[in-house]
Amino acid sequence: MSLNIDSIAGAFYGYVPFGDIVFYFTEFSLIGFIIALFFTLVVYLTKPEKQLESQIGDFGDKLNYVSLEELKIRRLMAIICGICTAFAMLTGDLFDYALFLAVIGIANMGIVSAVKKEGVLSAAFYYGIIAMISTLPLFGASALILAKTGTLSILELAKNSHDLLFQKIIYAVGMVGETGIAPFYAAKAEMFRAPGAPYILMIHLSSLLIIVRTVEIMLNIH
Amino acid sequence: MDIVSYMFSKSIFVGIVVGILSLYAISRQKSDLHTLLLTDLVECAMLVIIAAIGTDLAEALILPGLVVGLAEFLAVSEILVYRNEMRKNNSSNNKKLKLFEEFLAKEEPYVSTVNFNKMEILYSAPKFIGFILVLYGAFLTGFTGGAIMASGLLFYLLSQGAIGNGVSLKDIKHSWEAISGFSGIMWAFWILLGFAGFFLFPEHYLFFLVIAGCALALKVGSKLGLIGSLRIRS
Repeated sequence: MSLNIDSIAGAFYGYVPFGDIVFYFTEFSLIGFIIALFFTLVVYLTKPEKQLESQIGDFGDKLNYVSLEELKIRRLMAIICGICTAFAMLTGDLFDYALFLAVIGIANMGIVSAVKKEGVLSAAFYYGIIAMISTLPLFGASALILAKTGTLSILELAKNSHDLLFQKIIYAVGMVGETGIAPFYAAKAEMFRAPGAPYILMIHLSSLLIIVRTVEIMLNIH
Repeated sequence: MDIVSYMFSKSIFVGIVVGILSLYAISRQKSDLHTLLLTDLVECAMLVIIAAIGTDLAEALILPGLVVGLAEFLAVSEILVYRNEMRKNNSSNNKKLKLFEEFLAKEEPYVSTVNFNKMEILYSAPKFIGFILVLYGAFLTGFTGGAIMASGLLFYLLSQGAIGNGVSLKDIKHSWEAISGFSGIMWAFWILLGFAGFFLFPEHYLFFLVIAGCALALKVGSKLGLIGSLRIRS
């Protein structure tokens, strides 16, 4: 298989011929996959942060901690987010990638909304609204690419030139709304120094990796 | 050309228009529930765009798109329900948050504290508009010009009444007599000088025509201006 993909993503190691959804391995995607899995493991193993709120002029110091029930949900959400990020690094299908982004968006919403404060819940709600709105450019752009070229496979799209600038711009806009904007809303939850900080850091990590991977896809298909 | 290719660009256009209109509606709405429902409309527009392709693959893509959209819809609605419960429980400090609050650090104007009677435009604009109307009526002359002049005068008087600056009864008495007298004189000008002179000296017709036109304008204008005075008096 002669591929133009080597120049950007590094050496091509092969692909998994598994139905429609083709996972492929390049140097870039393998590095991203390993990073995401490693941090998922870190999130699984670490204990959540506790904090002591001291009151000035009063003796009502109180210890904030995460209850076991809340911890389970947030850890589950963070692990789902990490696994989806890891496999979004490998996938070779544009629509599949968009679905991974949507699932990461839902998991981000879950992580943010686990903090039971009204302002944080409002931030999670508005992040959900933005994510739902940006499914239109994200899935719409992959539909437009399918309509123009007849395929959604990144490996096929990388072979020939298709003049996809407009569709790529819409796709990038959808990615920004779906996942790239999440740290702005996660900052709302972090501002309170909510107990259980490492889970929120997963949002930042997934957003960073997804942005880099999207840029790589947008450069590969042309 | 088959029907799918024929309808493709139109369906894409419809989907994008529905999406943009929904965004406009989201920006105009008041409650969070409406935001949620309108956002679901955007997702329906997304399904329209995917369905516009009209192949087997598109059919296979609609189902995951719909499922993901519904999952996000359920998650967001769950968050909304939970937040409203929390807001009801501690309603003491319920600060209203807005959609793009993270990007807009702006104070809202306090509309209730604005004193509308102190607005400068209420004092300057009626004079200006009345002046323009009277000038335009004088330019037109004749019966139409008189009506426009009168509407300018009426507008001025009514707006003075509206901002609580009405003319007192004594002023009305004088101005009533003055305006009706002025109107009578103008009537005499129109009929006797203009209209009669028009027939007596046909070679100077232009001169008498101008006199008749201007007099008629002033007469009708002043006569209708009296209605405004009447309105203020009652």
